[in-house]
Amino acid sequence: MTTVLDVNDLHTSFVTPGLTIAALQGVSLSVGKGEILGLVGESGSGKTLTGFSINRLLSPPGRVVQGQVLLHGHDVLTLGQEEMRQLRGRRIAMIFQDPMMTLNPVLRIETQIRDALRAHEKMSKAVARKRAIAALDEVGIPAPESRLRSYPHELSGGMRQRVAIAIALLHQPDVIIADEPTTALDVTIQGQILSLVQGLCRDRGTALIWITHDLAVVAGIADRLAVMYAGRVVEVGPVDDLLDAPAHPYTRGLIDSVPARGQRGQRLKQIPGRMPSLTELPTGCSFAPRCEHARAACAALPDMTALGPDRSVRCFFPLAEGSA
Amino acid sequence: MTSEAILSVRNVTKRFGGRGDFIARGLSRIGLAQPNAVVHAVEDVSFDLHKGEVLGVVGESGCGKSTLGRMVAGLLDPSEGEIIAKASGANTGALPMQMIFQDPFSSLNPRKRVFDLIGEAPRVHGIVPSEKLDAYVADMMERCGVDGNYRDRFAHQFSGGQRQRIGIARALAVRPEILVCDEAVSALDVSIQAQIVNLFMDLRDELGLTYIFISHDLGVVEHISDRILVMYLGRIVESGPAQQIFADPQHPYTRALIDGVPRLERRRTVYAPIIGDIPSPIDPPKGCHFHPRCPLAQLQCKVERPALRDIGGGRQAACHLIETTAKKEFSIG
Repeated sequence: MTTVLDVNDLHTSFVTPGLTIAALQGVSLSVGKGEILGLVGESGSGKTLTGFSINRLLSPPGRVVQGQVLLHGHDVLTLGQEEMRQLRGRRIAMIFQDPMMTLNPVLRIETQIRDALRAHEKMSKAVARKRAIAALDEVGIPAPESRLRSYPHELSGGMRQRVAIAIALLHQPDVIIADEPTTALDVTIQGQILSLVQGLCRDRGTALIWITHDLAVVAGIADRLAVMYAGRVVEVGPVDDLLDAPAHPYTRGLIDSVPARGQRGQRLKQIPGRMPSLTELPTGCSFAPRCEHARAACAALPDMTALGPDRSVRCFFPLAEGSA
Repeated sequence: MTSEAILSVRNVTKRFGGRGDFIARGLSRIGLAQPNAVVHAVEDVSFDLHKGEVLGVVGESGCGKSTLGRMVAGLLDPSEGEIIAKASGANTGALPMQMIFQDPFSSLNPRKRVFDLIGEAPRVHGIVPSEKLDAYVADMMERCGVDGNYRDRFAHQFSGGQRQRIGIARALAVRPEILVCDEAVSALDVSIQAQIVNLFMDLRDELGLTYIFISHDLGVVEHISDRILVMYLGRIVESGPAQQIFADPQHPYTRALIDGVPRLERRRTVYAPIIGDIPSPIDPPKGCHFHPRCPLAQLQCKVERPALRDIGGGRQAACHLIETTAKKEFSIG
């Protein structure tokens, strides 16, 4: 599989005169053609910030202070504003959690799709209209021609998310970063969006980074998973290996926190405490204060260690297979 | 469940909108304004709640689960039907029902300290004499896992999980028998969610509480509930013991809902979702509300509303097709 996007040792900080908060501290990821990478973490783990850093959508005082984001081997972080503009939406597209926030409330769907099309390609209004109808049809919107006249508020949440996906797919991007795209949707609608995105990415070989807090959602669609905790990736691996035999105690804890079938009424295993605030991170392993396996050595920061091909973990004492 | 019902909900309906005020009615009468649309948020819902059980209410947005919860908690009056609470009344001044809300950020008064948030209601209702209030609040905080040293802090100084614990302590402080939890864990992170679910189960065992647990998260509901109501556009479509419903859903909607839930053990699933959107509750489909999305729908489903019928094993479902299959089984057996 050819690597499409390669994120290397990405550091993002919020720099203010009095205080510098290191929100991302060395995030490394890669995603190949046609691959779906699930990026999992709780609130404050830096998963959304990773997506924003890759697409360079950070607003001050946030900025990338170190690292590389290689798209087909070219570092997008060194591009100028105008070059980045050319890239964004055409090579790297993004889908957000709340389509009400990303669609312009005062423009018709047609105008929004046309603007997105003409930002990167020269075409007449008539051609743009045809492309827009085709795009809406592809994401399963019934009667696309009449829908073009609608405003976002006239559509349901699921329909709006479909429009957002249609816009993301317009230019056949190499990578799509989807940030919690189904979190705000109902279960049956979520199922529709999952099957849609899955099918489209497989057919076109689009690389997809699916950011979510819900392990169960990515378990169903991802090929590989990366788990984030307090601004660092703590474990990476193929979805089956990682979920069946998690090596990092945090991954284990996350899996155990999800109610499983056949354990009705039993106590859930819980991770004690909560994620540390970014201003008071422990110096060593940031999970150590909540970890039941923590030892003296955990006062130092562990590196990502390879456990096998395509599998690595940031822990001095990775859990052996089968242990809990 | 052998114990008797402590709460009976009988044919409860809640409508919103409609007539409007004096001016709106006048305008619509002389043709200057459209009459307001009427939304049937909850339509003809009946159930019993037994002491010590956890009743899960599931459904998607717009199904009326929150409205039902609010009516049970007494925050809304039903338009029709009645809700009869048979509280034991053993605790003087105790309030039989309390509600825990989804968003711990907006359901706690930001200007009050933790001590007042928890202690005000029991003081006002005379549940605890004022000289014992300190100890009482400390006990409530400890029970719910909030550090007693933080009693003089404000709500914004806590994390989401801690705030939800304060919300629970506040609700428990008036010694309720029934807790209505409306999406009480939905806004929390997975690891914190597990802590709160465990807390709910511990409190049930310690205090013999009865819960109505409203959530769109079927995983959590399956975990905590004894019995389940599945709602769709204001009506109950299926009810019964949690285990059976999840193992063998009868109503096509329940089946779609359970099949649609992503699970850890389902890898690289090809989702085969049911088609279509949830219809607007202002203008729901005629007959069975679910028929436009139902893969099994027949002519009868489009015209006739299916009644909620017993289908055996303490279960009920509202579907024309189940009735026929049940009859078949009877004729065979």
